[in-house]
Amino acid sequence: MKKLTFILSLFVAGCSTPLAAMPASAAREAWMMNFDLDWNVAGGLSEKAMLVSLQGLANRASPQLYIVHPPKFQWEITGPLYEFYQRKHGVKFTELKTADEALAQFKSSAKGYVVWDRAVSASLNVAFTIAGLEDAVVVSEELIPLVEKHGLKPIDDLRGRYTGQTDDVIYQDAYDRYWARCAKDRILLMGGHVGTVRMPAMADWGVRMKMFFHDLSANPKHPKELALNRRLLSEIEPGGYVFGWHSYGKDTEEQYTTLLSTYGLRMEGLHNLPNLSFNCQFKFTPGFKFTNNHHVAKDARLTAEPKVYLAFVQSDSIGIGVWTKPGRGKLPFAWQVTMNWTEFSPAALEYFHESATPNDYFIGGLSGPGYMYPNHIPPERFPLLMERANKLMGLLDEHVMEIMDNSAADGNVGNADLTKETVDRYYQAFPNVIGFINGYGPARTRDLRDTRPMISYDYYIDPRRPRAEVAADLNELIALNAKRPYFLLVHVRESNDVNSLIEVTKQLEGPVEIVPVDVFLKLAASNKTYTTRYQDPEEPKHFSGYPKQ
Amino acid sequence: MNMNACKRTIIGAVLVLGLAATALANPALAGRWRFEPALSTALDGWHKMDLVVALEGTKVALTHDMLWIRSKVVATNTFDTAQPVEQKDFFRIEQRHMAVYPEKHGVTKATASWIDGGRVLRTEAMTPVEVSQGNVLMRITTEYRVSETGDTLTLIELHSTRNRPLVYVFKKVPAEAAVN
Repeated sequence: MKKLTFILSLFVAGCSTPLAAMPASAAREAWMMNFDLDWNVAGGLSEKAMLVSLQGLANRASPQLYIVHPPKFQWEITGPLYEFYQRKHGVKFTELKTADEALAQFKSSAKGYVVWDRAVSASLNVAFTIAGLEDAVVVSEELIPLVEKHGLKPIDDLRGRYTGQTDDVIYQDAYDRYWARCAKDRILLMGGHVGTVRMPAMADWGVRMKMFFHDLSANPKHPKELALNRRLLSEIEPGGYVFGWHSYGKDTEEQYTTLLSTYGLRMEGLHNLPNLSFNCQFKFTPGFKFTNNHHVAKDARLTAEPKVYLAFVQSDSIGIGVWTKPGRGKLPFAWQVTMNWTEFSPAALEYFHESATPNDYFIGGLSGPGYMYPNHIPPERFPLLMERANKLMGLLDEHVMEIMDNSAADGNVGNADLTKETVDRYYQAFPNVIGFINGYGPARTRDLRDTRPMISYDYYIDPRRPRAEVAADLNELIALNAKRPYFLLVHVRESNDVNSLIEVTKQLEGPVEIVPVDVFLKLAASNKTYTTRYQDPEEPKHFSGYPKQ
Repeated sequence: MNMNACKRTIIGAVLVLGLAATALANPALAGRWRFEPALSTALDGWHKMDLVVALEGTKVALTHDMLWIRSKVVATNTFDTAQPVEQKDFFRIEQRHMAVYPEKHGVTKATASWIDGGRVLRTEAMTPVEVSQGNVLMRITTEYRVSETGDTLTLIELHSTRNRPLVYVFKKVPAEAAVN
């Protein structure tokens, strides 16, 4: 009962209005659209931008419009979740085939339209901000006749307003005009793809929640953008969210995640994560309770034999992983759950749990209640964030916390280690986990305190690496780590094929046993054949972070 | 034999060996070579690799000019075909998705020789690496084989800890391009 109360409170917090909460069992009507993969600026972007802004408005009061993306879209979950809503929530969807039909259905949700300037990229983000505040749909000029046909009136027109201006100037103007009225517990970093393709599929969420949209750089090479970026982040409430993703044309994931972590904020991506405005309004179905496939009791003590113990972990959020690909369930796999989806996409989490096989095991992450780099979280912000993470892990029945700090790394390689101070904080904040996992690419932070090991990845499987070489790499690690037991933790990058990993496991040499990650950690607690190690201050850092302000 | 005679003999022998080693060196190996990923074992964690070979007497300097995204690493291993060498910061062409790192302050012992009538450079390095269980030694044996036409270099690398050889193929970079 306590759990259910907590679920409800989370749900209400995520969706902002209790009236919007949809009873899980109530049959209801909704509409859906099928999107294609054309997000070209010169092609399908304009119409899709208009439609996702309309979706955000249509879903303000209740979940009315859902978008299904093709299976090749980065978020492969929209199709399975569409089926889930029908089956488990009794939603009766009616397809809207065109933008014209969508406007005819939902024009009353909008008070008008705002025109963005196709010649000024940032103006689309400013238009999205205005759309949320003024209940407007976002259009490029060629779509004006279409929206006017449905009786929508002009609210604002950005054509020419920002011509020739740099992004820092444009967003400063937007800050001056709109920031005061925008949500302060969240912001939308609408970056991601740049150039000929843009993919603002998350804009519905930002419009619905009246967020400030931008794609300001976190790159120190862009000091003016960085300064405004820092000002915005500093004005977000403690523990708030940065939704979306960094601009692929301005900075790196590592830089942006480092920056937001510096303010104790958390990232929830990507920029093309669709349907949150719809998803957030559904609760778990009656009687549903997260029950993880634990293979070992929390207080159990196992004893490792003189073997090689290997465990596979898939992070990158299960929604963009290999969940729907063939082979899942044939190997023990741990899946890093985006814990905040309890607030934004409960149905998605329920779908994953419902379809889990006994070999699928869920773990918490990434680093906390959202994606962040813990080496940079201010110490005073750490306890509050991790308290939230603890609660979410309890709700999700998770016993393992996965940590990632690539602030000093160089893409998937390099320095991904945790400082001793950071490790100390995790051990203090998570007394009830059975252990911690660290890294993305390989890392070498390791520890064991009481019965809780902290193990870093010894190997990262690039989906493009030939399987014979993967097997040879793993065998080499087994040879190099000659003491038994050897604990070999492997990170499986999104889009790897599980069937091919089965072939890899057949080629492993030595007394290898593939175990679920909870068993792995319990065994690692029994015989510490690994070294204790933290980030060495003398090791090179690809990026050292930002000066405190 | 008195001490001076003994020294002279030893020095003479070293000189002879050195001259022999020099004489046997394959000058075709010298120059800049560019990694050909399509012909090679997959290399994780590096996008580009140039190998620059410099021959001077019995010394062979192998400079690795590596690129990963925007990160550039240039590191030189210097061998001597006349005698074993010890080197700090020995560069190993690593698969960077494996948790195998150079040991901090580790010293690598290495030897080199010209084999197969001087056509092939063979090196052997005992390099200390750090893995999750601590520091261990890895023996790396390599052969650098230049094709008959002189435009292709095949680097075959064996590890004491790996049964599957690593084969990296390079194409010769013309001198004028190498300058640029």
